[in-house]
Amino acid sequence: MTTSTTTRAVAVPRPAAKGRRRRLSRKHREWVAAGLFLAPDAIGLLIFVALPMVLSILLSFYQVSGFGSYTWVGLGNYERMMHDPLFWDSMRITGIYVLVLVPVLFCVSLGLGLLIKQRLPGLAAYRTALFLPYVISLVVVGQLWKFMLDDQTGLVNRTLRAAGFEGRSWLGDPDLALGSVIAVTVWVMMGYYMIIFLAGLQDIPKEYYEAARIDGAGPWTSFRRITWPLLRPTSFFVLLMSTVAALTGGLDLVFVLTNGGPANGTSLAIFYIYQQAFGFGEFGYAAAMGSFLVLIMVAFSALIFALTRGGRFDHDD
Amino acid sequence: MTTEATPTPGTGARRTPLSPARRRGSATARGRLPLTVLAIIASLISVFPVLWMVTSAFKTRDTVTDGRLIPQKFTFDNFVYVFSEVPFARYLWNSFFISAVITIVALLFHSMAAYALARLRFPGRETAFMLIFSTLLITAPVVLIPLFLVARQLHLLDSYAGLIIPAIFNAFGIFLLRQFYLSFPRALEEAAIMDGCGHWRVYWNIVLPMSRPILSALTVFFFLANWNAFVWPLVATTDPDLTVVQLGISSFQQQYGSNWNYVLAAATVAALPMLALFFAFQRQIVESIKTSGIK
Amino acid sequence: MLQHDNDVGRKGPSRRGLLTAAGVMATAAGASALLSGCGAARASGNTLQFWNFYAPQQTPDPAVKRQAQWFIDLVDAWNAGHETQIELVYVPQSTYTNGFKLPSAFAAGSGPDIFLLSPGDFLRYYNGGVLTDLTPYVDREVIDDYGDNLDSRTVDGKVYALPMEVEPLALYYSVDAWEAAGLSEGDIPTTWDQLLDVGDRLRTDTRAGLVFETNPGYYQNFTWYPFLWQGGGEVLDRDGNVAFDSRATRQALQLWKDAVEHGIAPRTLPAAGDVISAFRGGNVAIWQQGIWQVSSFRSYAPDFRYGVFKLPVPPGGEYTTALGGWSFCANSLGRNPEVAAEFCGWALGRMTEECIDRMVSWCTEAKSDVAPRLTALERGAAAGGYDFWAMKKFRDEIAPGGRAEPRYPPVVYKAISDAIQGTMLAGRGVDSEAERAAQSIEAYTRSYEGASLV
Repeated sequence: MTTSTTTRAVAVPRPAAKGRRRRLSRKHREWVAAGLFLAPDAIGLLIFVALPMVLSILLSFYQVSGFGSYTWVGLGNYERMMHDPLFWDSMRITGIYVLVLVPVLFCVSLGLGLLIKQRLPGLAAYRTALFLPYVISLVVVGQLWKFMLDDQTGLVNRTLRAAGFEGRSWLGDPDLALGSVIAVTVWVMMGYYMIIFLAGLQDIPKEYYEAARIDGAGPWTSFRRITWPLLRPTSFFVLLMSTVAALTGGLDLVFVLTNGGPANGTSLAIFYIYQQAFGFGEFGYAAAMGSFLVLIMVAFSALIFALTRGGRFDHDD
Repeated sequence: MTTEATPTPGTGARRTPLSPARRRGSATARGRLPLTVLAIIASLISVFPVLWMVTSAFKTRDTVTDGRLIPQKFTFDNFVYVFSEVPFARYLWNSFFISAVITIVALLFHSMAAYALARLRFPGRETAFMLIFSTLLITAPVVLIPLFLVARQLHLLDSYAGLIIPAIFNAFGIFLLRQFYLSFPRALEEAAIMDGCGHWRVYWNIVLPMSRPILSALTVFFFLANWNAFVWPLVATTDPDLTVVQLGISSFQQQYGSNWNYVLAAATVAALPMLALFFAFQRQIVESIKTSGIK
Repeated sequence: MLQHDNDVGRKGPSRRGLLTAAGVMATAAGASALLSGCGAARASGNTLQFWNFYAPQQTPDPAVKRQAQWFIDLVDAWNAGHETQIELVYVPQSTYTNGFKLPSAFAAGSGPDIFLLSPGDFLRYYNGGVLTDLTPYVDREVIDDYGDNLDSRTVDGKVYALPMEVEPLALYYSVDAWEAAGLSEGDIPTTWDQLLDVGDRLRTDTRAGLVFETNPGYYQNFTWYPFLWQGGGEVLDRDGNVAFDSRATRQALQLWKDAVEHGIAPRTLPAAGDVISAFRGGNVAIWQQGIWQVSSFRSYAPDFRYGVFKLPVPPGGEYTTALGGWSFCANSLGRNPEVAAEFCGWALGRMTEECIDRMVSWCTEAKSDVAPRLTALERGAAAGGYDFWAMKKFRDEIAPGGRAEPRYPPVVYKAISDAIQGTMLAGRGVDSEAERAAQSIEAYTRSYEGASLV
């Protein structure tokens, strides 16, 4: 920085000389620069994300055969959606999935972050170990857990039986299957969010804890008074990201683990949409349900933004 | 970030007498043991299924689903098969090439966009940010068919370009980088602008070098996401020369029963480079997110 | 923040590193732009695509190898004598039947010219208008030769898909498990009650007594239909009226429900669905499977001692089984539907020696199937293709009396599937589920427009 500091010192008189004219043009130059900087991503997002979304909304007003024939049905698909018990059932399952997954994932990854933050010997090993599941593709993860949760030979049931308990059908019992899917999701994602929490935690100045300790604050008080408030931006980020991921994700895992079963017990809305579109060729109907889901997410994000005043990631400089 | 108003800690806790603190000081050393045990247990839960995948890749077809950790019949055949009977090296190369190009281009584009959104002043900036952010909410299965139509219209099907270009654009990276750039001190670039530097030079010479830590974190995340991509490559290609590694793994599932031993061997081979990538970058990842705005 | 300032000051070399990275990036971007040129061109021209899940693929499985080779030989033979060439496109089975690929391609109007179709999908494709009428490309005698096996692929007397195989369902059992449980040949069940009894005696903690398909899907429905039919039950009667809410439906649902609730049948498939390793690993005693497993056993477990028996029947019931099997179709919206249809007819629908031998080779050498054409079945038998005990059993005892897999469209499929899943795995009552399914089928058929559902 030394070089630029010296040049700055030399350059100081210059703006004073041509002040007014330059400032105006500089403002416009900044606009143009901003446009150019934004252009590649903006165009890309427009073509590959926004345009398909618009097409998808258009599609939701058509009855689509899946073979290239389109019939305008107006709001017909939305009407069908309102009266489709399977759709609302899948929304209910999605609701449970999100309401259980997001808090559990949050607590587990925060807990792991706090744990790893203690300067335990072998820190890098734990960190790598906990991130490991995230490295593997979801299709393989699903397959892996299918073996682990197998009724007869799965490791979970074998362990239970060895300990004198009865094995359960983790993926074949409608009361358990959704829980199993959630558990596997937590297993995959916990390392990822742990890393994010860890980063946030390490940014909190140690002096605060030191001061608190001298003042006699216990670990719980330290957490409540220092960690929690200072971690708020990270928490917000994790909460928002994991909720969006939960609402729109889960398809790969459900696909491999249960195929929506047993008895539609893991038929998340996104799975039902997939099934209607790609299984039954009902692309128009699927587009209507998909658009509805996107709408819910927009509303949800707006709510979160409003409640947290932008999650404090809009602090102006 | 240090300029942010932070609650002054300790003010409330000052009422507590000093003596317990001293006792706790000695307790921390002893308190470590349970924490270490906890960390070990958590790591084991995390690692165990992966370890099982690796050891099972050395099992025969008969024993692959027996649920045991240690193979009773140990064989290398699965790996030999994966590389000799199937062009798995080609699949690995395809995935590597595609993921690398996507990652590099995406990092450039996203950091440019994020720089504009965080540091430049222009009308409609917040709207632009909200619009970009809102694309995070668009779900893949809903837009898959329209995306396919768009890609076909642009002659992107069955080509590397078709696997690469649509995968570049993702608001997640823009969002993260923007948060990072918001925490930069204003003085830094103002000095450069005073010097008559253009915005591009500020970006290229000052902002980009300073983003190294977060870019390395995003490198891992982007690379991983694209290495593990499945649905889009499946839909967008039919040419066997363009097969990516995840499609390669799935092709071991036959019509009537699957050769899980091959699937697991292939999955192990596919996971190893990513593990190495993470291991190499893990320190930077934590460091980087730490200095970003989401801390 | 001082830390950052220092960083920038010190990072001379890394800036150079970034420039290098930018160079790589520019090259890569340029390369990818060039590569994009070759995309769509390949598909057009004088070549038709044949999407299938057999070839070309590399595999160590000798059976699958033979199947792949059969497809390659078929296309080579065609290409040698015809101007319009055909190119095989391999799509793994798991993604072919249950994936994004075919639906996306068809929805976007770029479906394959020739493809394999299962009976469950027939009506959806037919009503979508993508199936070419193959009747003009098939010899008259061949239609008689196929007999009943064309019924589920025919609309108004016209044939829209040519079956390449007939695949009946039966029950496979492990002889070792059988003997270990003190059972003998005489204990082979012929009634549902006996089946449950035997399954109960065979099961252990790590061995499923009796396996019915558990995953929801067309395949599960397919494997359940015989139990419905055996008691005289129907989804739709001959005239297309809904007949699902019947005693026969309830008893068939009850059978699967009882098997699961008493722990005789598992709630998930053993060995994640790999039949061979489940049997060899001793994790299953009886499994309802199709004739195709004969060739899997032959190539992967030739020494494994297994047996096959007919599906048992309920009191007062009549034996039947479900006959599956895939067929060739030509896309009427493809690049050249006439040539595609000509190919299907040439491959499976001629009275020539070559054509009959081809089917014999597919059904007895490449796979283990019942040939859908009588001439091929007879010739295959004469050549010893059905001499193996299991094949003989399938041909002589199991297949006769079987019924083709129905072609119900998605809504009907889903209603039945929900009834099976709900009773079998969620413990719901068979009465309410049968009634509910019948109602949704009823509501659907009232507004249905398209080819006959039966």
